[in-house]
Amino acid sequence: MMKDPQLALHGLAIKKHGSAAEVAAITGLDATATEQHLNAAVDSGRAMKSGDKYMLKPAAQVALKMGYGRDFAGQRSDEALQKAYDDFERVNEQLKSLITEWQTIEVGGKSMPNDHSDAEHDQKIIDRLGDLHERAEPILDRLAAGLPRLGVWKDLLLAALEKAEDGDIAWVSDATCISYHTAWFEMHEDLIRVLGRERLE
Amino acid sequence: MTRWTMKLDGADLPDKALIGGKGWSVARMASLGLTVPPAFVITTKACAAYQDGKTFPDGLQAEIAEGISWLEEETGRTYGAGPSPLLVSVRSGAAISMPGMMDTVLNMGITPVTETALATECDDPGFARDTHRRFHELYAHIVLKTDAGNLSNDDTAEDWAAAIRGASGSELPADPVERLHAAVRAVFESWDSRRAKRYRKHHGIPDDLGTAVVVQAMVFGNMGSTSGTGVMFSRNPVDGDPAPYGEFLANAQGEDVVSGKFTPRPLDTMKDVLPDAHAQLLKAARRLEIENGDVQDIEFTVQDGTLYLLQSRAAKRAPEAALKIACDMLDEGAIDEVTALSRITPDQVRSLLAPRLPERATETAEVLARGEAASPGIGIGLVVTDSDDAERSANNGAAVILARETTSPDDLHGMIAAMAVITERGGSTSHAAVVSRALGVPCVTGCGDGSVTALKGQTVTVDGANGLILKGALPVQEPDETALAGLVKLTRIAERMSPVKVILPENAPSNALDLNRIDGGSEIQRLPDLLKGAQIAGGGALSDDKGIAIAVQAGVTAIVGRPRLPILLAAIRAGAVTEDRETVAVSATD
Repeated sequence: MMKDPQLALHGLAIKKHGSAAEVAAITGLDATATEQHLNAAVDSGRAMKSGDKYMLKPAAQVALKMGYGRDFAGQRSDEALQKAYDDFERVNEQLKSLITEWQTIEVGGKSMPNDHSDAEHDQKIIDRLGDLHERAEPILDRLAAGLPRLGVWKDLLLAALEKAEDGDIAWVSDATCISYHTAWFEMHEDLIRVLGRERLE
Repeated sequence: MTRWTMKLDGADLPDKALIGGKGWSVARMASLGLTVPPAFVITTKACAAYQDGKTFPDGLQAEIAEGISWLEEETGRTYGAGPSPLLVSVRSGAAISMPGMMDTVLNMGITPVTETALATECDDPGFARDTHRRFHELYAHIVLKTDAGNLSNDDTAEDWAAAIRGASGSELPADPVERLHAAVRAVFESWDSRRAKRYRKHHGIPDDLGTAVVVQAMVFGNMGSTSGTGVMFSRNPVDGDPAPYGEFLANAQGEDVVSGKFTPRPLDTMKDVLPDAHAQLLKAARRLEIENGDVQDIEFTVQDGTLYLLQSRAAKRAPEAALKIACDMLDEGAIDEVTALSRITPDQVRSLLAPRLPERATETAEVLARGEAASPGIGIGLVVTDSDDAERSANNGAAVILARETTSPDDLHGMIAAMAVITERGGSTSHAAVVSRALGVPCVTGCGDGSVTALKGQTVTVDGANGLILKGALPVQEPDETALAGLVKLTRIAERMSPVKVILPENAPSNALDLNRIDGGSEIQRLPDLLKGAQIAGGGALSDDKGIAIAVQAGVTAIVGRPRLPILLAAIRAGAVTEDRETVAVSATD
């Protein structure tokens, strides 16, 4: 079981470069407490702060990763959780192709960037993203059953999906907000770290 | 007594509110005298009646049976039995398309018995097997909203049904008529899904409109030498050449083209094997282009010599084609000036004017690595292999290229800082590709182990559109917007229609507001405040279409910037209502 100060660092490792509020949002920790934990890490030389953003120092990164085997021993030996992750990987492949379809269109056999000038086309893909989300939900629930804090991802994904459905298409795959793709990728990173898996490309 | 179903034979064109957008499109194609696979529609009234007690209204089941009998007559095939089995697609379609509605279920009517019949009929047991398996996957995915994993062709239909039961807890009915009813019920239920309800609430659409259900016979392009499938464009979507363009594959189904199992042949080859169908297709394409006033992208199948149009919609096109087609159709008198300007986007014009390598430059330059063209654009800089280095160097004003084996979310800051991203592993769906496209950064992926990280410390030119990494800093050309005839012509028209003028930066008067020199000038949220009282403004957030729209609303009379046409187009779009592009779309494939 990971303690809160550790969890704040784990969240920062996923964010890489993030504010206390951003780390709190993905770990489910309280925002003020997260700030205290991260400030403590700065004081003890494990993290740096510039502006309102924190970053883990390399040695702290290594230490964090080395502790995972112990912190997540329960999860790593949980067969149901590992099985849920395998199912997640399958939907992950579908998500990656769907995001590629979102970003590129085929024109006469040639692939080029989707300039999002065709709202109807975009709407259809967002609709399929909603379908994918519904298929992913039971899997996300199974993951959260093995580690309750993972439930926060489902909320972040749904929030991004609903913004996209309401017409703000940046929430599909923009890298600079917690878009559906950003949340999904960070969740993937979280799962890989928790379960000691490798990222497949 | 209320009728719950209607034939979509083109005899009349009922209201979209009754038969939904998809049903309307099928009926419209048929009414133009074009051959579409026979179809009937269950009306939106049946859906509204279903919502009362969550049961089929009286008489609906009998009418569905009648509809199926009619499809059997029209096609000479039988639902749920051999020797020529009738398979149908089931799709939802409200008057207004909205998210959350049930997606299309294909191959409805396939069973162990009809699989055998289909295998004999098309002399292809593998195809019949695929069709049968695919039905199970779609049924699980779409009707039961579950992921039953990948089913195997080596298993029996009972095994597939068991996998579906295990994943969903629901039973797949054995009777094909019951399956059809279950799919119709799933469409009605999807009207009340979370997404559909949210969408209606958000857009003020009444909850009692209901959705229609289109049940359409499926046609097969793999029934022998007088069958085939393909896609055609009424004009070339890559360069805009006005000659029809497309691909054809004899004796094959649409999936064969998509899967890459077979290489489709140019459309002209269809003339040799199926001359009549080819001539009909060209005629239909012409007709649809005129009816819809835009270039059409048409999917078709020929079954036993009969041409069926499956779908026709406005074609997506490359920037070069968008320009040529808009100008050509304007010259032909097919569209007016306002429409011509709406057929090319500001981004397409920017892309036409984006810096590029001179022609033949790649022939003389040394290619250091090549990979998948994952995100277009030219990036020149010094290769670094660490994202922290990339960020640091970029902050010091250096142009860097980020080279990694693969990227992960850990690399985001480096990717933002880089002029281009290049990787050794992964394809067009890899993290590097997806994120680079989202950031608008050129990207080449999958160059091979040890290929790009070894370039550390070298200066390279990355050509994202062609997947090339070239030695050194190559000179780039910036196309001139006054040297391209089509652009000059559209610019002249746009200048007449635009609510704002464009002033080139070198001609900006001294009272112009330069947002580049104002703190927060690139933040779009602050734009309305910053523009207060300004007549002429440029820079900062005005380099973005959304910013231009805000400027138009704020009453700015001139925008300083270049190139001119994208700014003019964005300003015109900001002032205009979006064009309603009614397309005749019928699909048996998506």
